[in-house]
Formats: sequence, structure tokens, C-alpha cells
Amino acid sequence: MSDIAIAPPKTAGHGLKRAIERFPFLPALLILVVLLVLNGLYQPRSVSLVGITGLVKTYLALMLLAVAQTYVVYAGDIDLSAGAIVSLVNVSIITAMDALGGGTSAVLLGLGLGLLVGLACGIVNGIVVAALRLQAIVATFATSIFFTGLALYVLPVAGTPAPTAFWRTYGGRILDIPFVMYAAVLLAVLLLVLARTQLTTRLLAVGDDQQAAYQSGLPVTRIRITGYALAGLFAALAAFCITGDTASGDPLVGGKMTLNSVAAVVLGGTALAGGFGTVTGSVIGALIIGLIGSLVFFVGTPSEWQNLVQGVAILVALMVGILVSRGARR
Amino acid sequence: MARLVAKAVSKTYGATKALRRGDLEVEAGEVHVLIGSNGSGKSTLCKIVAGSVRPDSGELLLDGKPVTINDPQEAKTYGIGIFYQELSLAAHRTVAENILLSNLPGGVFVDRKQLVATASRYIALFDGVTGEGFSAGATVEALRPDQRQLVEIMKALSTEAPILIFDEPTSALDRAQVDRFFDILRRLKAEGRSIVFISHRMDEIFALGDRVTVIRDGETVATKRIDETDAAEVIRLMVGGESAGMETAARAPAANKAAAQTVLSVGNLSGVGFHNVSFDLAAGEILGLGGLHGQGQSAVLRALFGASPPSSGSVSLKGEPLDANSPRATIKRGVAYVSGDRRRDGVIAGRPILENVTPIHALKQRLALAAPSSLRDRAKPALEALRTKFAGFGHPISSLSGGNQQKIVIARWLIDRPDVLLLDDPTKGIDLSAKTDLFQLIRKLAAEGMAIVLYSSEDAELLGNADRILVFNGGGVTRELTGADRTAFNLYQAAYEAA
Repeated sequence: MSDIAIAPPKTAGHGLKRAIERFPFLPALLILVVLLVLNGLYQPRSVSLVGITGLVKTYLALMLLAVAQTYVVYAGDIDLSAGAIVSLVNVSIITAMDALGGGTSAVLLGLGLGLLVGLACGIVNGIVVAALRLQAIVATFATSIFFTGLALYVLPVAGTPAPTAFWRTYGGRILDIPFVMYAAVLLAVLLLVLARTQLTTRLLAVGDDQQAAYQSGLPVTRIRITGYALAGLFAALAAFCITGDTASGDPLVGGKMTLNSVAAVVLGGTALAGGFGTVTGSVIGALIIGLIGSLVFFVGTPSEWQNLVQGVAILVALMVGILVSRGARR
Repeated sequence: MARLVAKAVSKTYGATKALRRGDLEVEAGEVHVLIGSNGSGKSTLCKIVAGSVRPDSGELLLDGKPVTINDPQEAKTYGIGIFYQELSLAAHRTVAENILLSNLPGGVFVDRKQLVATASRYIALFDGVTGEGFSAGATVEALRPDQRQLVEIMKALSTEAPILIFDEPTSALDRAQVDRFFDILRRLKAEGRSIVFISHRMDEIFALGDRVTVIRDGETVATKRIDETDAAEVIRLMVGGESAGMETAARAPAANKAAAQTVLSVGNLSGVGFHNVSFDLAAGEILGLGGLHGQGQSAVLRALFGASPPSSGSVSLKGEPLDANSPRATIKRGVAYVSGDRRRDGVIAGRPILENVTPIHALKQRLALAAPSSLRDRAKPALEALRTKFAGFGHPISSLSGGNQQKIVIARWLIDRPDVLLLDDPTKGIDLSAKTDLFQLIRKLAAEGMAIVLYSSEDAELLGNADRILVFNGGGVTRELTGADRTAFNLYQAAYEAA
């Protein structure tokens, strides 16, 4: 009996394997460093404080949306409406701030409303997927159309500007340090705190094996809904950043971000099947996508070739990540 | 008053009656053994008590009060903890997280210190026998099967429930681990806890149990005090009163078998889940693989089919080596494989019957284009041989019953005759009349010279059809039953012996 239970002999590379098990984003971090170096070689200014600030300012929204996506993916689900939620929150807060006169209190009220809208969208997704048991990929695709429809109803045409106080703050500096840097630090703290919650562990347990989690006595449906709700909140935060960056309302602004957020999650080493991954990886994944975009530009790729090169570069990044983790796991 | 009573509990999945009438009565401070052959309904009964399966009918009483248990969460509040045979672990989480998964210490945040401290208390119970690499912080994925089983045991113990159910908790454990576990169970019993224990090992049952309840074909047949019974009586109860004796198999081996040509020869075959399996299979012979569920029988068949290639050993087909590294390769050499897991291995769901019956024909004949009418003509005789009932070739296969779906899957192999037919528990979840048709056909195919390997989780099917039976235990063949030795009693005894 006991002879079949003996594990295969452990091979070399054990330390690296352990490290990647604990920090699955290590391959992504490697790719990020390589991309930063390449960016620096082709455009030295891009790795200066100004360059990095610009990068963070532009891609903070995608980082947040990748984080949103991660919590859903943890539980083995997916949210194809993430970008649509961004659009809906964007037009909602723009419209509300505009209607309230655009002062400081209007901005704060607008942000509060934005969080509520994001949360509501997340809960709708959660109920549709976890309680009504529809396929996550199709159900959230359907809700994405629904949310986009709402966004178009709220603001049919792009263009209403954001209050000056809002985008000036987002793009400005406090104590000579760019505002987005504070936001980035705040995000890091928030993620660290969230990583220690019961919810994260439970989401991962559900994603690992839903049946096992149910049999262990976890409230699986409630946990999945909470995951979607959290994703909705982070999508709202992403919308705030986009609004600060573009300084205007656009009912279709988030559409393209959905699949970028999924790609960022995968680049960061999180398993789409659920149960395994880190939000840190997703943040790095979002930065990789951003840096690939700027590198393609800095290298001087003719504009008609930029999409093609960018696509190939993301594929290469995915492959490198997988090869590194696989090599270590052997 | 009994602490836990299950009265006439039943559960049906589709066409399968998993449990007809389950009765169980467990007192405080006793180890109550539940025993029955494969698929007799033990696990279903346990899952009903633990809330993860809802019964169709019947009653549950706790301390005399009727209760309804809707989900595992509720079972917990009623004080019922369970060890699941198939384990309920999250592979990427740590040992500590798994042990306390539904009861993580701390509020919104997990109290990591407390988590490790509490989990360590349960890990300490197995101090010295957990094996290399076992710690509170190890991920379950990195553990060996026996260590995972220990985690599941600790998880059940951590519920501190007054009623603890263990569904085959020792199948992967070594001697020292089992001994330690039994010491713990005896201590819990002394504390007054009720323990329901499922095991297939007779020695364990008599070492640990106070009473034993025997389930046969989904019905509770008897409850006995352990000190008033013996292994032979328990086996007789499991087999059934009327056939307890030395009834011989329905089928006598044909006289000319010895002279028949060897078709399949397997030498020292090893792979994941089985080791050193050797046998020769003659044309026209039906070789049965017996033993408890999951002792390597399916793994051997899948290895021979090339679905999960073996790690070492030799296989030759009609005298020439068979390189079993993909089903595509073995199919072309004349190997056929039919699995009881139709949804995974057989049926192409949602597609018409015609497409489901012809893929092997298309592969073997390298068909690129074919007229449906000619395919229908080829498929018809195969389907008729099985008495398949279907409305038309264009109907989706999902419109058929499980039995008829399986007939379609088998017919797909019969259009072009294979030399070797591997049957991997082919009658799982199909009705009685379809089973009868199926075995009639199998015997006819054997009579026509096909070599057949049959694994069945139902011993009656093996006894009624196989010329020889290899009994598997722990991944190896422990006994071969031939001729008059092929009795239900011998088969049970060989299967239930400690490995």
C-alpha cells in the first residue's frame, strides 16, 4: 500500500520553484525590469521621475481594473463587464458633478455616487453568475452590454468636461510629489490589507475547488457575489483615474480595457481557472502592457505596424512568463 | 436514546438509485462501522447526514429530534463533521488554511498567528508520522496522497463536532499513521463522541469498531455488535444471504481456451496508480479485473489504450510490441476502449447519433469525405447487434437514455472489429435491461474470438462473465481467481484483505 504513495524524487531548482510558488509574479517582475531597461535604452527620459509618473498616471486605471478582475478570477470566475462598469461610473460621476455645480463638494458627492454605482454593478454580476448560476463568461458579457447601454443613456455623446478641481488634483502635485504617486502608494497599502482578509482566502478556496469549498461548509454563493462586488468597487476606482486622466466623460471609454485587464491578470501569473495568484502580479501585468505600448512607440515602429508589434510583444511576454514558471516547476 | 438516527433515507440520481433505504443508528461514545461493497450507498448516506447531499425521502433525528440539514454549513451547526473520501481540500492553500478553512480565526482579517497555532494542535496529534515536508505552512499541492489524507482527517477533527464521520479515511495511510489515527479515535470515543467509520479493511473494522452496519444494494441489511460477529458473517451479509455459499460463476470457461492464440501480452506494466501488472489474454477470452474501486484497474486499462502512457513494462499485441503512447496509435492497431464515464470518454454531447457512432470508423478508414447514407449502412448492423433503440440517426445523442447512449458508444467500436476490447466499468449508471443486452453482446463477441478485458465495480458482472479474474489491491494484482474459485466469497475476501 505504502509503496504507491512515495513521491517522485525532488529535482534541482527546488529553491526557485519554492520562490515562484510563494511569489507567482516573479516571472512578470523579470519581464517588467527588462521592459524598463529597454524603454530606458530607447528613450532615456522614460525612466526618469517624470517618465515614470506619466506611465503611472496613464496606466493606474488599468492597474486598478486588473486588480478588480483578479478578485473575480481568484474564485474561478471572470468579469467581462469590468470595462463597461468603468464607462458607466465615468459618465455617472461626470454627469453628477456637472449637475451639482462642479465644486469640491460636488466632486466628493460624485465620487461617492461612483463607488455606489460600481458596487451595484458588481452585485448584479455576482447575483447573475453565482446565484442564478449562469456561465460567468457569457453572463458578464451580457451585463457589459447592459451597463454600456445605461452609460449611453446617461451620457449619449462623449465630451462633458470634468470639473477643473478634479483633474487638476489628479494631474497635480502635493508637497512637490505627484498626486498619482500617493494614489499608487495607497493602492499598495490597500492591496496588502486586502490580502490578509478572510475574503481573499475564501475566494481562493472557492476557486481552487468549488465543490470542496461547499463541502467544507463555506457559503460559496455569497463568497462569489462578494468577489464580484469587490471587483465593482475597484472598477469604480479605475473609472476615477480614467476620468482624472482624460478629464471628460465618454460612455465607451472603458470598453477596450476589459480584455487588457484579463491579459494583465494572466501576465501576472494568476491562474484563470482560479485558486492561485496575486494582485501584485496583476498590477505588474498592467504595467507590462503599458510599457509594451510605449516601447513600441519609442522604437519608432511605423504607426500602421504598431498594433501588430504590440500583439506579438504581449504574446512573447506571456510565453516567457509561462516558460520561466514551467522551467522552475520541473 | 441514539444520538444520530437516519430512517429510510433514499437518494436517486437520474436513473441510478444511489440509496434505496438507508438506516443508521449511532450512539454516543461508540465507533460505528459502515460497510458495503462498491456503490452500495455508504458514501451517499454519509453525505446526506453531512448535508452535502439532500435526500429524496426519509428522516434524520438528532438526539431524538427530527432535523432537516440543507447544506454542510448547517450540518456543522448541528455538530456533524465529516472526512470526505474524495477529500475536500484546496490544493493551493496551506495545510493550516485547509484544516481551518470554514472557521478561519480572526474577524475581517485572518489571524495568521492564531491560525498556525490552532492548526498546529491538530498537526501535533500526528507528530512523528506525518512524513517529510509536512508543516502548517506547506501547500497541499506539494503533499503526498497519504499526507493529504492526514490533512483531511485533521480538518474533520478540527470541527470538534460530537458526531464525526470518516468515509474511508485510511486508504492511503501507512501502518504507523493508521495506528496513530486509531489511538485518536479511541480517545474521542472515550470523550463520548460518536464516530461513523467506513473502511474496507476487515482487520481495521474488528480492531476499532463497536457495532457494524452492513449496506447492500442501497439498503441497510443488518446492524451487529462487533464482538458478536466475525469477518465471514459480515462478508456473507454484504454478498447477500442466498448467494453466501460457494455458488459458482454462471459461465464456465470454454474448453478450447488453453489452445487459443495469445492476443495481448502485458509484462510488468507500471504507471501512475499501478505497478508490475502482468497477464496474457487469449483470443475469445474475457479477463475480469476485480477488487475495490480505484485499486488501479482503470489506470491499467487507460494505460493500455494509450490515454495515460505507462512508465515501464511491455505490451505486445498479436506478438508485436504495442507502443501505447496515444489512443490514436492504439486504435489503429486494433484496440478499443469503452469507459463507464460516458461524458468524459464516450459521448460527443449535443451531436447527432450518426456522428457519435462513426468517428472510429472514420479514423480507421481515413475517411475524409463520406456520404451519410453509406455511413448509416455501416452503422446499422452494429447498432442492431446491441438492440439499440433510437428514433433516427439525425437525433442528438443526448435524447437517449444512459443505457442507449452507452450502446451507441460501444457500437462505434464494432463497425470495424477490434482485436482487443477494453471495458472500463462500462455499465456505470445504466439500467438493468441495457446491462443484459450489453453482456450478451460481450459474450457473443468473445465467442467470435475477440479478446476482452472487463473491469467492473459490480462483482456480480465479473462473476457472471469473466473466464478469469485478477483481483487488484493497492495498484497491484494480489490474486488470480480461475475455474471454480470464481465465487463471490473468494472475490470479496481477496478484495478486502489488507494489502
